[in-house]
Amino acid sequence: MALFSAFQTTFLLALLSLKTYQSEVLSEPLSLAPESLEVSIDSARQCLHLKWSVHNLAYHQELKMVFQIEISRIKTSNVIWVENYSTTVKRNQVLRWSWESKLPLECAKHSVRMRGAVDDAQVPELRFWSNWTSWEEVDVQSSLGHDPLFVFPKDKLVEEGSNVTICYVSRSHQNNISCYLEGVRMHGEQLDPNVCVFHLKNVPFIRETGTNIYCKADQGDVIKGIVLFVSIFEEPKDFSCETRDLKTLNCTWAPGSDAGLLTQLSQSYTLFESFSGKKTLCKYKSWCNWQVSPDSQEMYNFTLTAENYLRKRSVHLLFNLTHRVHPMAPFNVFVKNVSATNATMTWKVHSIGNYSTLLCQIELYGEGKVIQKQNVSVKVNGKHLMKKLEPSTEYAAQVRCANANHFWKWSEWTRRNFTTAEAAPSEAPDVWRNVKSVQGHCVVTLFWKPLSKLQANGKILFYNVVLENLDRPSTLKLLSIPAPANGTELTLDRCSYQIHVTANNSVGTSPASVIAVSGDPGNKEVEEERVKGTEDGFCLSWKPQPGDVTGYVVEWCERPGDPLCDLQWKNLGPNTTSTVVSSDAFRPGVRYNFRIYGISTERIPYLLEKKTGYSQELVPSDNPQVLMSNLTSYSFTLSWKDYAAESQPGFVQGYSLYLKSKAARCLPGSEKAVLSDDSICCKYKIDNPKQKTFVVENLQPASFYEFFLTPYTSVGEGPQGAFTKVTTPDEYSHILIRIILPMIFSILLIMILCYLKSQWMKEKCYPDIPDPYKSSVLSLIKSKENPRLTIMNVKDCIPDAIEVINKQEGTRKSLTETEPTKPTYLYLLPTEKSHSGPGPCICFENFTYNQAASDSVSCGHVPVTPKAQPSQLGLLTSSENVPKALGKNYVNSLGEIPAGETNLNYVSQLASPMCGDKSSLPTNPPEPALCSEYKTQMAIPMGLASPPSITLLDEGEHDH
Amino acid sequence: MKVLAAGVVPLLLVLHWKHGAGSPLPITPVNATCATRHPCHSNLMNQIRNQLAQLNGSANALFILYYTAQGEPFPNNLDKLCGPNVTDFPPFHANGTEKTRLVELYRIIAYLGASLGNITRDQKVLNPNALSLHSKLNATADIMRGLLSNVLCRLCNKYHMAHVDVAYGPDTSGKDVFQKKKLGCQLLGKYKQVIAVVAQAF
Repeated sequence: MALFSAFQTTFLLALLSLKTYQSEVLSEPLSLAPESLEVSIDSARQCLHLKWSVHNLAYHQELKMVFQIEISRIKTSNVIWVENYSTTVKRNQVLRWSWESKLPLECAKHSVRMRGAVDDAQVPELRFWSNWTSWEEVDVQSSLGHDPLFVFPKDKLVEEGSNVTICYVSRSHQNNISCYLEGVRMHGEQLDPNVCVFHLKNVPFIRETGTNIYCKADQGDVIKGIVLFVSIFEEPKDFSCETRDLKTLNCTWAPGSDAGLLTQLSQSYTLFESFSGKKTLCKYKSWCNWQVSPDSQEMYNFTLTAENYLRKRSVHLLFNLTHRVHPMAPFNVFVKNVSATNATMTWKVHSIGNYSTLLCQIELYGEGKVIQKQNVSVKVNGKHLMKKLEPSTEYAAQVRCANANHFWKWSEWTRRNFTTAEAAPSEAPDVWRNVKSVQGHCVVTLFWKPLSKLQANGKILFYNVVLENLDRPSTLKLLSIPAPANGTELTLDRCSYQIHVTANNSVGTSPASVIAVSGDPGNKEVEEERVKGTEDGFCLSWKPQPGDVTGYVVEWCERPGDPLCDLQWKNLGPNTTSTVVSSDAFRPGVRYNFRIYGISTERIPYLLEKKTGYSQELVPSDNPQVLMSNLTSYSFTLSWKDYAAESQPGFVQGYSLYLKSKAARCLPGSEKAVLSDDSICCKYKIDNPKQKTFVVENLQPASFYEFFLTPYTSVGEGPQGAFTKVTTPDEYSHILIRIILPMIFSILLIMILCYLKSQWMKEKCYPDIPDPYKSSVLSLIKSKENPRLTIMNVKDCIPDAIEVINKQEGTRKSLTETEPTKPTYLYLLPTEKSHSGPGPCICFENFTYNQAASDSVSCGHVPVTPKAQPSQLGLLTSSENVPKALGKNYVNSLGEIPAGETNLNYVSQLASPMCGDKSSLPTNPPEPALCSEYKTQMAIPMGLASPPSITLLDEGEHDH
Repeated sequence: MKVLAAGVVPLLLVLHWKHGAGSPLPITPVNATCATRHPCHSNLMNQIRNQLAQLNGSANALFILYYTAQGEPFPNNLDKLCGPNVTDFPPFHANGTEKTRLVELYRIIAYLGASLGNITRDQKVLNPNALSLHSKLNATADIMRGLLSNVLCRLCNKYHMAHVDVAYGPDTSGKDVFQKKKLGCQLLGKYKQVIAVVAQAF
């Protein structure tokens, strides 16, 4: 009983102490309310940060509590957010909670309050709410400053496609504010008179540098704006993992687009494997390595998470490790036992497990192409025999492997090159010959074509030529020609030979090629035929030979103008009678000659046909030099015999003669043609190419012609050249020549004679002292009126008589019209008898000069009219006055001659004293010699010579 | 202090660099001796005139490049966003003495150089692909450095002035992006306006 009492006492004490403890902790439930609540703003993130603590917890006490938080906007009654926040609380611990606002916090006043409750299973009776804290107000607008307008949020970074709320805060009520996004006006909702909110939904990515959003007032210069940055962040693509050695997994991916100015450096990639629960942060943006666990884990489930400032993106991959094996490239690859036609390839592979098999692929390359392909299953060592190879040929063999059970990827190729061994040449060389006869010997030039690679089976070292004399079969001659020669020249006698040619390499000898040379060259005359070439070559055909023919050979030169000629040939079967010869060496405008031989059973070639032609004909390259001959008034002959038509780049089919003339119509046999310079001429066509002369007929005498001759081929005419000019002679020109030439000759002869006999001629024709008896005047006088007049003799002069010549005044007649005047003589002294004969004195008059002078003074005699004044005569008789008068008149002539009277009158002077001048008799008795004297002519003015002023010249005035 | 780190200190280090440099230099050293690092050019004023003409010739192109790169609403609201409303811009009196004009020019170019440094830094982030704008900004800053050196040489040689008190514009590093764009535009508008007057005065 005492024990029970003691236990009861102890229990009660313990209960009391517990009660006491409980009363200490929970007696005042209000003391667990949140205290010291502080609210701050993170404008960049648009967050409200709450900070509080619970003071009334016991020391070291730790309770789970829940806090209810209310957030109101603008006014406390407008609660926009309520959230319960559970956490474990210690005594005096500072608790934090954040809330991100959709609306920029600057746009409206926010208030926060909270209360708390114990949420601990240990003390379920205490689960009741404490009292609310007082409202904590957050009003950013009051601290914005005094600007008239604000736009929020600043520099917001959002993800493409998300929703954004924008607002402006205006300080003025009067202004209408309009806001724009990329120039497009936005329409918002008025939160209060000063605040307007714009809700942007599904914002697009426009550019990395952000999108300007701005607001402006209707009045004033206020524009305020923000820049909204929109980020694109795609999930990684092509996520894949594989292993090469079953120890390490290599995971790769292509990073998705991550555009956005402020997010470029914030990406990170994490690889998480769900079966093992392991996680690794990848160093690189596109790949990551993962260590395969040694516990034979087969299945892997990876999650690749890409994360940037705004959000995360993940991709998943589930696979079996053995299905993702990418084998390493085969190693120790060799090509062994290489013969002429076979080779063996061996290799090793890296094991991918104890029971796994690899599938290996072998490819054989020859000349850059795959010629064999084979698949082989391999555990560790691989081997493959390559057959049907060509001797002496370079090959490349390569091998790669993949997992045979679960194909994932081929390994890389491993490649080896090798060359097969040589073999004896498989084909006989193709041999041909050219036979010439030189000084009784037969010079045979052998040609052979080099064997192809397939035929040679190795490098040809030399050619063996065996000459077998058919007349003496036991005689053999061997020649060895080192490669790469493709022919040789042999000098043989007239005997027939059979020639064997073989090609030899390091392994063996080819089959022999046999050709025979007979003693008779057999170059019979064969008519050459023309053949037309095409783009594909020359199509040649020939008549089949009736006898036994083992084949045909067509032979031609690829460079016909070259002495080396580059002889080519083509072997054809016995049943072939046509072939097409084509070659890249064929050029347009070159004439190629083909010879077709038949091969007899004795292997002797004999000429069958000759062909010639052009692969493409061209127009003639030059024109002939034309010679003209036999030029007549009506025709001329042209000839061009030196023209080599065979050297032209086409078969000359004829000639065209162009003739230009002034005649409008063309002559018969020609037709009008228009030249390249648009001039029109007549064209003669000469269809016979062998005709080298042509007579142009039916021409006009004394006409101008131009001609031009050019050959033509099937393609066209030769080049345009210069026309040759020709003029047909006059019809009578030969007669004129027969007359004029002798005349000219005669004149020349006379002139020469005159020159040689000039002295004699002068004496005869124009002596210095004329012979009056030979004067023409005398003859004229004689022939006209006074045939009795003759040269006056001195003794015939009558000194006392003046002969007066009657002359009618005012008549002007030419010399030919001048009637002979009858001289009248005034006899100063009585004469014994009347003199009726010719006048005793003669004067010479120069009729060449002034007509007036000749009219007025027909002679040197002084014209004295019957009415002549004595005083005048007296003047004349006074010899002293003559110079005086002359001088006076002379002066006048120089100083007073009117402009219209400046003609000079030349008077042929008669020697004075005049016959019968009585006054002169006493002083100057007449002398017979003076009568016939010529006086030097003197020019005097017209006035002096004109009557009635009569002037005489004395002797003194003549002697100049 | 951010303004010093951003553009002014490197600028002054370049201008005042001497042997033994490495410790920070006072912006306006009170006891600085009037000595220049390199001998001054013989025809300094001519060089100054040429540099001013060069700046004046390229200012408008720089302004256009800038506001075009900022996008709407800048090109169509130049008066509101890019008006030359820079309150603390150093004054310039074209009718003053040469010494006064040189001192004022020095202050202006120092102010502009620092502001241009801020703009260049901001634009490399905000418009990383506007290479022609960057190039033009760098070229202008280069000329300004040369001009500042020449003006200092002139003041030192002729007027024995060892230092000039300078002031700088507001640092933009703490501003929001739109404000950075706007401040840069305003500064370049002011620069275009002032440099024409200054170039005319010399």
